[in-house]
Formats: sequence, C-alpha cells, structure tokens
Amino acid sequence: MDLGSDAKSASVPTIASRSGRFIGRKHADASRLMGAIPRGRAPRLAAVVLVSVLVVALALAWTARSLYEHNEDRLLDSRVRELGLVLAGAVPAIQTPLASGAALADATNGDPQKFRTLMAPYVGLGRPFTSVSLWPLGTGRLAPRVVLGSPPVLASRPSEARAFFAKAERSRVLSVAGILEAKTRILGYELNSSGDGSGFAVYAESALPNDRRSTRASMAAFSDLNYAIYLGRTRRPEELLATNIQGFPIHGRQASSAVPFGNTALLLVVTPNRSLSGSVFDRLPWIIVGVGLLLALGAAAMTDRLARRRHQAEQLAGTLNRIAAENRELYTEQRSIAQSLQHALLPEALPALPGLDVSARYVPAASGVEVGGDWYDVVVADDRHVVLVIGDVSGHGLDAAVTMASVRHAALAYAAQDARPASVLTNLAAFVNRSPHDYFATVLCALIDIDAYRVTVATAGHPPPLVIDGDQSWFVELAPGPAIGAPHHIAYQETTVSAPSRATLVAFTDGLIERREETLGVGLARLRDTAITQPGSLEGLMETLVRELATDGRDDTAILGVRWQS
Amino acid sequence: MAELEDDLSGEVTIATEVDAAGDPIVVVSGEIDMSNASALSAAVAPIAATRPSRLTFDLTGLRFIDSAGIAVMLTAAATTTVSLRNPSAIVRSVIEATGLSTILHMASES
Repeated sequence: MDLGSDAKSASVPTIASRSGRFIGRKHADASRLMGAIPRGRAPRLAAVVLVSVLVVALALAWTARSLYEHNEDRLLDSRVRELGLVLAGAVPAIQTPLASGAALADATNGDPQKFRTLMAPYVGLGRPFTSVSLWPLGTGRLAPRVVLGSPPVLASRPSEARAFFAKAERSRVLSVAGILEAKTRILGYELNSSGDGSGFAVYAESALPNDRRSTRASMAAFSDLNYAIYLGRTRRPEELLATNIQGFPIHGRQASSAVPFGNTALLLVVTPNRSLSGSVFDRLPWIIVGVGLLLALGAAAMTDRLARRRHQAEQLAGTLNRIAAENRELYTEQRSIAQSLQHALLPEALPALPGLDVSARYVPAASGVEVGGDWYDVVVADDRHVVLVIGDVSGHGLDAAVTMASVRHAALAYAAQDARPASVLTNLAAFVNRSPHDYFATVLCALIDIDAYRVTVATAGHPPPLVIDGDQSWFVELAPGPAIGAPHHIAYQETTVSAPSRATLVAFTDGLIERREETLGVGLARLRDTAITQPGSLEGLMETLVRELATDGRDDTAILGVRWQS
Repeated sequence: MAELEDDLSGEVTIATEVDAAGDPIVVVSGEIDMSNASALSAAVAPIAATRPSRLTFDLTGLRFIDSAGIAVMLTAAATTTVSLRNPSAIVRSVIEATGLSTILHMASES
C-alpha cells in the first residue's frame, strides 16, 4: 500500500509538481544517509571484537609460551643429565691409570722402571696428565720417588703437599688437590690403594686451559648447549675448570648436575645456546600473537563493516518509512484540499422550490487528489422557472478547475441574462472562443417550467438528461451541438419535451456512464435500467445512482436531479 | 491502490507520417487519457504550427480516448482541417456524444 500511494503520487501531475521539492529533499536525505558514518555503536562493537580476539590470541600465545618454557626446562634437565653421564664416563680415564699405577707400585715395592713403563702413555702433550709421580708413604719424608713429565707443582710447595697427603693417604678414593695456580693452572689428584698411610701414592697433575676456556670443539651431540664445569659442588669462579660460555654469571635458562669426582665432585652447569625443541616451537607464541592480531583486525573490520551496513539499512528503512508516511499524509492532505476546493466551486446549497424537489451529488475520482472539471448549477429564473446547468471541462487538475470556475460563472451570468438554453450555450461558446484555449467543455442547459411540466433542453456535446416516469425511463432526444470550445461556431438548438406528473429528470456527467471498454450507448442503457428500478424518494434514487454507477473511479461524476412533487 | 494505478496508466504509442499528398498523419494506438494526453499534445503541436492544410489522426489502433485526448485534436482543429481515420465504435461514440463529429471528421476505410 505504501508503494501504491507513492507510485500514485508520482504519476499524478499535480502531486508530482507540488511535492517535487519535498521528494528532492528526501532523496538528498537518503543519499546523505548512504554516505554517513554511523558513529558509536559500530566502532564500539568492532573494538569489543578486536579486544576479544586479541585476548584469546594472547592467552593462546601465553599457553604456548608456557608449554614451550616447560618443555625447554625438561629438555635441558634431560640434556644436563646426559652430559653429566658423559662427564662421569670421563672420570675413570683419570682414575684408572692412577689406580693401576698405585697397585703396580705396591706390588713391586715401588719399582721405578715398571712404574715408568706403565704410566708413560698417559703423560705428555695431548694426554691426560702433564705430570705423574710416585710417592712413598709413611717414610717421614714426603717426596716423589719417580716423576714422569713435568716436575709436580705440588712438590715445590711442601706445606701444601703435607697438608694434602695427610688427608689423601687416609683415603682410598681419588683425592683431588684442587686447582694449583702456577705458570699454568694445574689440577692435581692422588690415589693410593692402602688407605692407611702406607705403601705408595700415585700423584698426577693435568693442565687446565689458561683462560679456563675450553678449546676443545663441543661434541656434536651437545652443540646446542653451553657449559661450565666447576670443581666441587658450588659455582665459585676460582673453581671453574672449563667453559665455553662467554659471559659470567650465567643468565637465563640453565640446569646443573653434580658428577662424583673422587673425594669431591664436578658441577656441570649448562645453558642452551638455541631452542632445544626447535625454532618453530620457539616462535610459535609469536606466530600465534601475529596471526591472532591479524584475525582480530580482520574480525574487527568485518564487524565494523557489517554493523555499519546494518545501521545504514536500518536508517534507510526508517527514512523510507518516514517518506512513505509523509507521502501518505501529503496524499491525504492533497485529496482533502482537492475536495475542499471542488466543493468550494460547487453550489453550497440548492434552492428550495415549491412543487419541485432538487438534489445533486458530486463524486470525486477515486484517485482523489485531483480537482475535477465537473460542475452543476440550479438557477432560479423566476417563481415558476428554473435553469439547470451541468458541465464537464476536459482534463483534471487545477487548470481544469480554474477553467471550470470561469465557464461556470459565465454560464450563470448568461443564464441570468437570457435563460433560454440555446442562448446560454451560444453565448458561452462565443465567450470561450474569444481567446485561445486548449480545452473544451460539454454543457447541458435545461429550462424547466414547473407549472407547465415542460422542459427545454440544449446540449453542447453533453449526454442528454434521463426522464423517469414510474417504471419507464428515456433519454431526451436532443439536436446535437458541439462541445463548448470547439472552433467554427455553430448556433445551438433547443428541444422542448413534456414531463409527466411526478416525473424525475436526471442530468449527469459522463463519469456516471463512461467505461473504457464499452461505447457510451452501453453506459446510457445501464443508467436507464438502474434508474427505473428505484421507486422511492429522489434522494434515494441519487444515492443508488452514486452507489451503483459512479464506481469506475477514473473520472469525477456530477449528478443533478429534479422531481415534480405532484 | 496498486491495481488501480496499473489500470489508470494507459499505454499509448504515437507516430507521425506523411501521406501521399504531403499532409501529416499522426498514428495513435492504445489508450489516450489525461495521464498521457500531454504526450499527444507535444507530438501534435509542432505539426499544427506548420499550418498544414489537413491533419489526419489514424486511430485504427486506438481503444479509448477521453476528453483530454479529444481536447488535443480539437485544439488542432482550430487551425487546420482535422480528420480521424478508422475510429473504433467506442471512440466514435465519444466524439459523437460530444457533438464534435462535424469538426473532427471521421472516416472509416475498409
């Protein structure tokens, strides 16, 4: 229905022209609206989505990072244990030759030659020891009997040597003399087989890397680890035996493992120099954050877009509804204006005449927004004479209404001047043809002599009046005359007929009889048949004619009826 | 309302030709009413302005005409002789009822 009324208002010229500015403004509204950026709701929603997805992504990244850290810790623990085992496996390489040497010395009572022969392969550059010496115990004088390689550093420090051996000779396990600072850093160890201060002790020294840096290439299996090896169980810098770590103290992830080493231990500290579980897992949290950020931005953008579209659609729908409502309002208003104007152009009241009932109806076209061109008048000429005028100006709208008003008032004036119908029409035609015009009007003029029951009629292209007498009705046969406004002026002719007692005369405009798909004759016959089925009052007849016949709705319709009261 | 709207918008086709004598012919088909009479008026006005001795409306395909359409032909009749070719019975009845058959000369061809 909204569309219907919109389409109608657009197709009807008067409305279209009157509402042009109005419609234009609305279109401007709509186009401004289409480009408008709805602020508030949409960005807020997008922000919520952005933050939500980001939070989820960050949570995922955090979880991945935690799992990664935990995994790295576990891997490092496992690695340090493996490396500890490797280190522990290296300890016998020191301990075994010394144990062998001590056993040999005890068995041979310290035979120097045999000792030399046994130990020689372990001493020298690129071998485990820089110095190996055989020390008799329990002799009161502490000095090496046999020395292979460099002179023992410990031997040049008698007090240190005494302190060391005092403890070492009582132990059957490898005794570590600790790090001896000499020209180079030396690690000394002792082993004896009796453990009771008798027999022989084998003492050996190994050179430590000068700067404590291990020059040995890392084992391939442990290339992912940096390490530091301390003598003892603590990380005292002075006890650092070897490392491939550049900076101390060690930062970051680290793990340690103590490996038994004679009467002390070796503390192994490792730190990964790259991700143990692989670079992908290392980067996974960042990948998650990155992808999450992209997702969040994408989702936010999408949300924003959808929200804006919905907002626009809502706004547009609202605007369209408003336009439709305003158009309906305007249409109603126009229709009301049109009808008010029409009624203003028609007689306010019909004259009351003794002996003659008079009734009139005006039915606007169904489209209703147009002022029509139909009119009627009842002019009292004198006590016993009345003039009926009914007419129809071609076209609709304000122009037709103005023309109608002009023709109607001219007709009134001519009727007052000379009530003879032919004279009224002839004068009216001359009046209209006096100036250029693009319309014509059909007009019927009838002079009624009430007392004489006589009707004199002339027509200017207008349908003839219907006479109803009980169950009979007929149209008055008229001499044809052209519509008012036709060129080539022709004088109009009158026809006079007698009316029966109580007869009814109905004049009308073509809206009452005209249908597109049929000739006027068909419509006239329908009117004639409808009229005779209506006994009763004149008003009742008029109502019936309006109800039954003025239903086409394309054209407006005027009906004027008179009835002799006796 | 929508149905009514569809009904009200009569379709019309207007074409102009020139006959053997060099006089213009306006061929009108469909329905002419107040909603499209202005289109007919726009087509006829420049032809009428040339003051032809005769103007023919070929109404063979015209099913309906209302007063607005007749007014256009009547306006042309003020300046030239207007004849209507092959009006349908409906069109003919309207012209005759308005008393204009002496001005809008109707002729049917077999």
